[in-house]
Amino acid sequence: MSEVHVHGVTHAAERAAIEGAGARAVVHGELAAVVGDAAPDTRAADLARRHWKVLEAIAATATVLPVRFGTVMAGDAAVADELLAPDHDALRARLERFEGTVQLTVKGTYDEAALMRSIVEGSPEVARLRERVRTLSEAAGHFERIRLGEIVAGAVEQARQQDAARLLEHLDAHAIDRRIEPATGTDGAVNAAFLIERGRTAAFGRALDAAAEELAGRVELRVIGPLPPYSFASEEAAAWA
Amino acid sequence: MAVNAAPSGYLERPRPSGLADVIEIILDKGIVIDAYVRVSLIGIELITIDARIVIASVDTYLRFAEAVNRLNITDDGSQGLPELMETVTQGGAKSKTKGALEGVKEKLPGGGGDDDDDKGTRRKRTTSSRSRSRSSGDDE
Repeated sequence: MSEVHVHGVTHAAERAAIEGAGARAVVHGELAAVVGDAAPDTRAADLARRHWKVLEAIAATATVLPVRFGTVMAGDAAVADELLAPDHDALRARLERFEGTVQLTVKGTYDEAALMRSIVEGSPEVARLRERVRTLSEAAGHFERIRLGEIVAGAVEQARQQDAARLLEHLDAHAIDRRIEPATGTDGAVNAAFLIERGRTAAFGRALDAAAEELAGRVELRVIGPLPPYSFASEEAAAWA
Repeated sequence: MAVNAAPSGYLERPRPSGLADVIEIILDKGIVIDAYVRVSLIGIELITIDARIVIASVDTYLRFAEAVNRLNITDDGSQGLPELMETVTQGGAKSKTKGALEGVKEKLPGGGGDDDDDKGTRRKRTTSSRSRSRSSGDDE
């Protein structure tokens, strides 16, 4: 019973980075799998954090392909013989494709009050329905409330698209690639992953500053990373598997 | 995280990533290892379900209605919206005032604290080697 979590795949030469990140390297040919010993009864959230931290630490200096979180294999031998050996060349090619890049994820959150105010001010129908709903009991106003929410939801979606477009106008030029992911919650404005050359993260950061200035008071931006290419490495999984 | 050189408010002082960010970014991402070869994908179904509760559109509308109604009533009022998804998201978003981790940890099984919610606190084994984790399409 020596099951292992497989966190990622990188170059065999990165053994030091792997060990520095608190993980072990299983090496085969030119590749190293980043593994950790399976720890039964570990909370899922702690496993998620460990996966994240190990890959983040390696990605600080090296290129690493993330393996889907939660992947467990039978042991080091299985990792070498059943993952690294049969797919050696394909994995190496994918690794090379991400060489010298990092992912930065940008999230924007609305100032909810500001957003709602702009929606009420921008739509007489919303303003009217809102006034009406407020005079009705919860039961009596149920359908009006749903209708109101539906209109507001539509307006929020429109705002998201517009604000995302404003953001991308600043950032796209600095990225190799990007993925727009769904913004969640009532106040989620934008959630986008950017693939960036390591050497250009500073320029990206400055572009982000400019975008933040433009959206100030309406959307608060955060950046997460540098990360391994989570949102990009998965794309080819189907073709590759 | 080490981003050297050049001034950017964002990259110079990155905030620590809370669990909400971690989950959202890593979930369903990365290379998928063939199901015949791997032992299992642990806990994913569980955490996926918890972190991305699919909310019926009517509920979504009601939440927006509440958001717009809240406008003048209170600025920092109690949300009263129990859905985990929102908690997770806002926990991530409001990390200035309230650590993202703290924001979510009571709600997310296994997210720390001393929750005794058994279903989430330990890893769950999926013995069926054929079953893949929920595809993200299932969640929308």
